[in-house]
Order: sequence, then structure tokens, then C-alpha cells
Amino acid sequence: MSDRPTVPPGLRARIARRLPRSVPAPERELILAELDDLYELRVARDGVDAATRWYRRQTRRFPLRLHAERARETLFNARGGRSMGRIGMDAAYAVRRMLKAPGFTAVAVVSLALGIGANTAMFSIVNAVLLADPPFERPSELVELYTSDASGTPYGPWSYPDFTDLREGSGEVFAGVSASRTMIASGGLADRSAILLGEAVTPNHFELHGVPMVLGPGFGPQYDGPSGTSPVVVISHGLWLQEFGGDRDVIGQSYRINQLDYTVVGVTPEWYTGSFPAFHSSAFTPMNMSAVLMAFQSDADPLEQRGSRSMFVRGRLADGVSVEQANGWLGGFSTAMGEAHPATNRDRVYQAIRLDEILVHPIVDRALLPVAGLLMAMVGLVLLIACVNLAGFLLARAEARRREIGVRLALGAGRAALVRQLLVETTMIALLGGLAGIGVAHLAVDALVSVRPPIPVPLNLDFPLDGRVLGFTLGASVLAGVLFGLVPALQATNPGIANTLRDEAGSVTRRGRMRSALVVAQVAFSVVLLVGSGLFLRSLLNAQGADPGFYEGEAAIIWPQLALTGLGEAEGQEYWGELERRLLADPDITQVGFTDFMPLGFGVQTRAFQIDGFSGDRADGGIEIDIGSVSAGFFATLEVPIVVGRGFDAADPEGERQVVVSRALASRYFPNGAVGETLDAGGSEPWRIIGVAEDTKVRTIGEDPRPKVYMWAEQQYLEGLQVVVRGRTSGPELLARSIAIATELEPRLVLFDRRTMSEHLAVHLFPPRMAALLLSIFGGLALLLAAIGIWGVVSHSAAKRTREVGIRMTLGATRPGIVRMLVGDGLRLVVVGLAGGLVLAAATGVLVSGFLYDVGLFDPVAYLGIPLVLLIVSVGASWVPASRASRADPLIALRSD
Amino acid sequence: MPKDTLGEFEHHVLLAAHRLGEGAYTAAIVMELERLTGRDIAPAAVYIALRRLEEVGFAASELRTPERGGRRRRYFTPTADGIGQMQESRRRFEALWDGIRLGDV
Repeated sequence: MSDRPTVPPGLRARIARRLPRSVPAPERELILAELDDLYELRVARDGVDAATRWYRRQTRRFPLRLHAERARETLFNARGGRSMGRIGMDAAYAVRRMLKAPGFTAVAVVSLALGIGANTAMFSIVNAVLLADPPFERPSELVELYTSDASGTPYGPWSYPDFTDLREGSGEVFAGVSASRTMIASGGLADRSAILLGEAVTPNHFELHGVPMVLGPGFGPQYDGPSGTSPVVVISHGLWLQEFGGDRDVIGQSYRINQLDYTVVGVTPEWYTGSFPAFHSSAFTPMNMSAVLMAFQSDADPLEQRGSRSMFVRGRLADGVSVEQANGWLGGFSTAMGEAHPATNRDRVYQAIRLDEILVHPIVDRALLPVAGLLMAMVGLVLLIACVNLAGFLLARAEARRREIGVRLALGAGRAALVRQLLVETTMIALLGGLAGIGVAHLAVDALVSVRPPIPVPLNLDFPLDGRVLGFTLGASVLAGVLFGLVPALQATNPGIANTLRDEAGSVTRRGRMRSALVVAQVAFSVVLLVGSGLFLRSLLNAQGADPGFYEGEAAIIWPQLALTGLGEAEGQEYWGELERRLLADPDITQVGFTDFMPLGFGVQTRAFQIDGFSGDRADGGIEIDIGSVSAGFFATLEVPIVVGRGFDAADPEGERQVVVSRALASRYFPNGAVGETLDAGGSEPWRIIGVAEDTKVRTIGEDPRPKVYMWAEQQYLEGLQVVVRGRTSGPELLARSIAIATELEPRLVLFDRRTMSEHLAVHLFPPRMAALLLSIFGGLALLLAAIGIWGVVSHSAAKRTREVGIRMTLGATRPGIVRMLVGDGLRLVVVGLAGGLVLAAATGVLVSGFLYDVGLFDPVAYLGIPLVLLIVSVGASWVPASRASRADPLIALRSD
Repeated sequence: MPKDTLGEFEHHVLLAAHRLGEGAYTAAIVMELERLTGRDIAPAAVYIALRRLEEVGFAASELRTPERGGRRRRYFTPTADGIGQMQESRRRFEALWDGIRLGDV
């Protein structure tokens, strides 16, 4: 067609040049072609000259209109044109889109809320325990001072004489040093008392830390005098409110500690919890009251004994002195002390560690960090699964929005602006999820904190959702929004993909591959969580069914502390006897047993024994063995059978120390029979074994039988004993009855702890129960998300293959055959994901095996059952969309693209 | 922000596309509108209107090369939604006109 009129090439190029740059190349060609068409049609109608004039006008007008349109779009999205304003408009647009797809929005928000909530809850704990800066003045100057202890661990406490030597000599490196020690006492106003957890501190302790008094002068140097001369107390804010009702005239009033009146001289600020992590100290006495406070423990003044080490020492570095310099000085100090006091200080090393580098204690920190890491990894995985799933959804939605996005790109909307808009949308969903997640975290933390370990001191478990936690949540939300939004947004707005609307087989495959990879990843992560929850559930069931080896029925346990009550040994001895008689006199109480080492009671008591032919970990070859004292009634009350020999009997002669040993001890160390043999406990006389008791669980429900020695409580005085009471009525009733009887006998009685047997046992099931619960929730969620993901992939691939399905059906393929083909598409991915997930799960299983009770490393139920469940769910999730696709009319299917 | 109703110009463009049937590409629509209205029509306006119509789902487009060696063009057809929308616009218009005589203007 040589006579076909052509546009002057210069003008054509001018239009091409002036079109908005964001118009993609293929679309540019189409526009120019349309204008060529118009030129030709106008030449035919108006002649060449008129058409050329018209075309020349278009070189200006056409690009201008597109630019104007683009500006209008931008303006529409962004009045003011500044990026925050644009984001605001994007946000408004996002809200409208979210409301248009409420189902997707709800699924996204809920799954993110769970994911982010779990992360926030975990982080708030990590934040409180691991990340919080010491709340003191210029914390970077404060150091914790340690010394090597008997076992050689270099992080032990000090003795007071060592501390005073440090205080005298360390002026060049420390601006000051202070010491504190724990104090467990009975405290209260004149007429009543309760367990009091506090500290004895050197008078400069608060000043050194920069802790001001809310009321009163606090401690001054006058309280550093001779032992026992400073009956004054600084009380915590909490104690002030609780005991004195927040009375501002509290200074000068008296407070009773261990039956001695102390004058209140100060109240600490609300935020101050004392010197020891996780513990909340309620009262502080001057250090020189130590001997008075601990009079019941020993006659000697603990402050005068260089070998008695229970001081925790803090120092504030002098101006310009580094920790390294301080440690250099301490090296010289260690040598000098070793030479001056060889009996107690030979080879003893002193060192300083910055306070803000210590979380709880250097040794605890080492164990804490991996656990914290594992927990954070677990909750991170949940969030990752949620993100992967939502990314899959968005890729599917991007298909549906491709046309809309393609059109916007064609109109010259910038890709960056579109990506930004899509990301604003996902980030807003994630922020909503984060907001709901804070609620989830709050509930989760409350639930975690509400179950406290059965130790009789108040734990300072406060995990505030503070600024840092909220910042974390915000960060996690934004990250999640970008994470699950970015890949779909980039793909959706890729001009090469989005604009060539019809012929884009390649890009579909690419996008399809991305979705497939996401499903594989999701299935794999779900397998990890599900196998994990399976393992913990099995462990929980095993643990619940596990036999602790002692009576588990209705019973009460009370724990009187006679020294804190103010009873001496003679009175105390009498009290225990009378208590047993009075308890048994109650018609509903049938059995009473006493012990200072309740099995599964979290306490640990050991003693070193020398056993011929065996050597333990200790330097002297001694073997550390669990040891506890029990009353004669203990074995019967707790239904621990004596399998060989006999138990304790009130008719036994005085003198020789008699013990009962556990079956594990007998079979390990006395294979030829233990009864009649003796144990060398390092004392002057050996201990005679009179019986062998059946094994019980001692420390944890999951342990193997442990060697244990039972001493007879009659043969030494014990100021604190746990009293196990059984009878014909319920545990709570027995508990109330026992407390009433015990306090009636001694009105001043201080109870260290009280609980029913089921409460006692429940605590042991708490960790596996929590783990199983959390993992089940997250595993179930992961399964659901994975099923939805598989559903999405299969329906998407079915939709893409509609035409192929039509052809196959016209060629005689059967409907079941089509369904099989499409289901196969989904299952291939699932199988790949399963394989990867099982490998990951096995690796994780090895990591957590220490927490499991009686579950093999490759538990068949978890490793075969879970994949089977996943497969069944996957078949279901792919079958529904597949069968829907197969029902399509072949003729219609053929006509579709 | 896409609107869910037809503007007057969009209505015109969609009608023209409908009239042209198989041959409704941008240039043809521009010419058809000029023929029917007797006015100059800005091709950019038609271009933008068609894409907006497509964006809201009132028109669908397809890339075709009608004859061997010919130009690739984007052909538009009103969707069922688009046709419904036109009928609705028309019904509303007629309802407004119903019973009105404008005298001698």
C-alpha cells in the first residue's frame, strides 16, 4: 500500500517524546498506532493538509491530556502533593478497598493479630528480662563485682570482711562500693506478720545507685556502726501502701521484723524493686543488723567471717576509669587478698562486670539467651507463616486487580506510586493486626503471669507494654505489612507484566512459581509447628498420665516456718509434735507426714557422700545425692512403699543415724542389698541404711529414677517443714482445716507456703501444658492458613487452565480425570513442602527433646500422623476448587482465555 | 478514584463502541463520535475515557491484529455491566424527560 498516507516522522517522534515517561513501551506503540489510524482517516475525510494540521495540534494536546490526567490522579490521591499527604490519600483509598473485601481483611487482620500478638507477648517478656536498662543513675558507670566461689565459678558473692577491704583500698578506681544481701524474715505491724522479702544493705547503697527516698532521710553513715545498733528500716513503696496505707507520717513509726521493732526512716520510689532481678524487695535494713536478723541461723556474726560469702557487691566507677582499668586493679587486689588471708582467699579471683551487660546473673544469662532465642524464633515463625499466607492471597488478588493496575500504568501512573499505594494498603492491614495483636499480647501475658511457680516469695513478674514493646509491635507490623505486600506489589506493577494484558504466559508462570514457592514454604513451616505441637501434646499426655510415684489424691500441704515465727529449737520441737497430734485428732484427717524436701517441690537439696568403688563429680570424689528429712508417717501418707527393710519408727533407739534410701540408690550403689550397709556423709559416724523405698519423682516429672536419701526428721531439729495432710474430705477443705489448726496452736505462725496436692502437681504440668497449648494453637492456625493457601493455588491454577480443561473435556477427558489432574497440581506442592518441613521438624525436634517427657525423638504419631492430617486437609482444600473447575461447560471453557 | 456511574462523555464513548461492534478501536470511536456529534473530539479524552471504563469494568478490551500485516490495536466492547449501566442512564434520563415539553426553544 504505497499510497497509504503516513504521518510526518518528525511529528510522530515529537508525540512519542512528550508522552509521560511512565507509559510503558508497548502501550506507547499502541497510542502512536491509534493516532496513525486517526491521521489516515482524517486524510481520507479532510485531506492531507487539514489532517497534518490536526496531527500537529495533537503533538501538543495528546501528551498534555495524559499529563493532566496523571496530575489529576496524583492530586486525587494527594491533595497538597507532599508525600505524607499522598500516603494519607493512599490510606483513605486503602480503607475503601479493605471495606470492599471484608473477608480478606478480616482473615488478614486476625491472622496477623495472632502472629504479632504472640511476638509482642514474647518480646514484652524478653524486654523486661533481657533488655531493660538498670533503672539507676548513669547506669554505665555501675558494675557488679564477683568473686570465684567454692566450686570455682567466677561469679560468686563476697564476704563482708573482703568487702570492707575493697571499700578501704579501691578509691582510685571506684567512686564508691556498696553491698547488699537477701533477707527472708517475718515482718508486719505489731499485731500480725507475714513473710517479708528484703535486703540488708550498706548505708550508702541507695546513694550509690542514685535511688532517692520518696519520704524520709533514708540511711546515713551513722548506721554503719557496730553490729545490731541500727534498728531502722527503709520500706518499699508497695509496703508503704500496703501496711501503712500510704500514710505520709510514716517516718518514725515502727515496723516489726523478726519480733524486733524497727523505725521507718525512708520510703523508696515506686519503680525501685531492689537489687535482685525478678524479686521485689519490700524492706531494707542497714547491713549491721545482719547478725540480729540471722540470729536463728548461727551464733556468729556473719559480718565478721571472711569465709561466709553472701554479699552482692556493686561499685560505681570513678571518673574516667574504665571497667578494664578497674579489673586491672582488682587483679592486684586478688593477689594481695590471697597473700593476706591464705585460708579463705588463696587463688580467689575478683572481677567487675558492667551492670548493663548483666541480665539476671552471668551464669543464668548463658542459659536464658538460647531459650529466649528459641521462643522468639517460634513466634517469629508463626508471624512468617501468616505473612507468607497473606502474600499468597495478595498474589491471587493481584491477578484480579491486574487490569485496574494495568490501566493505571497505561495512564501513566508512576510505578513507585502504585507500589507505595499497595504497600500502604498492606501496612494498614498489618497495623490493624498489630493493634489487635497488642490486645492478644496483653491477654497472653496476663495468662502467663497468672500461673506462678510454687516458690514462697513474691516474684516481680511485671511485663509492661512500654514504649519499647509498642515500638517493637509497630516495627513488627510495618515489617509484616511490607513483607507480605512487597513481592505481590512489585509483581503486580511490573509494567512488562501488568500491561501486556493478554499474552503474558511467561509472567503467569513466574507469578505462579512465586505462589507455589510460598505454598511450599507455608506447608513446611506448618509441618514444623504441627510436629512440634504433636510432640508436646504427646509429652503432655504422657506427663499427665505419668506416675509421680507418690499419692496424688486429695491432700493439703502447709509449710510452717518456726524460726520466722519466733520459736526456738525447744519450742519448735514441741510444736511439731503437738501439731501432728492435733491434726490427727481432727476426725476428718487420717494421715499426716512431714518433710523438708517435698518431691516435685522445685527445691533441691543435696549432700555429698563417699561411697566405696564409686566417685562423683566433686574434687574429693564425693557423690552429690538428693537428701531430705521425713517423719515416720511420711511414707504411709504419700503412699511410697518400703520395698526392703523398714521405715522409721518412733520406737527406734536414739543415737545411730538411720536413713532410708530410694530403690535407684540401692540398685546403683548396693547391688548386693542396701539394708544394713552404711553411708559416709562426711560426719564422724556413718549412717545406717534401714530400708529401701520405692522411687518417686524428685525434681521433675520427666526424670529417670534418682538416688535419694531420706533422713529421719526426729533425729535433727528442722525449723521449716512441709506438712502433708490427708483425710476424708477435699483438698481445699483439708487445707483450711490444717491452717486453722496450725495457727490455733501458734497465733504468730508464719506459713511459707500453702497449697492443695492438685495445685502442687499442676505446677509441674504447667510448662508442657503451656507449650502444647501454644503450639497447638499456632499449629492449628498454621494448618488452617496452609489449607487456605493450597485452596487459593489450586483454584488459581484451575482458572488459568480453564481453556485447557475445556479442550481436554472435548477430547473425552472425564470429570474425575480433570479433578485428579488439578488436585495433583496442589498435592505436588504439598508433598515438597511436607518433605522440607519434616527435615526442619526433625532438626527442631532434636533441639526441644530436652523439654519432652517420654517421647521418642522420632515419635511415629507426630511424624506420620501430622503429615497424614496435612495431606488429607490438602486433598480437601484442592478438591473443592478442582471439582468446581471440572463442572464448567466445555464450550464456555473453550471460549475463555 | 474510579466512579461507579457513567459520565456523559463516557456514556457517549461506550455507546459509540457498542455501535461499532467488532471494529471498536480508539481511532474508530473518535471518528464515529465526530460523525455523530459533528464536533471535533480529542483523541486523548477518548483514550482516557476508554481506560477508565475498563478500569471500572464497564468495558473490556482485547489486543487484535485484524488483517495480516495490519496494525495491532486494542478493541473495546461494553461489558454486561457497561450495557446495564447505559440502560440505567437512559432510563433515568427518560424519566426526567417524561411529560416535559420545552416549548419553542
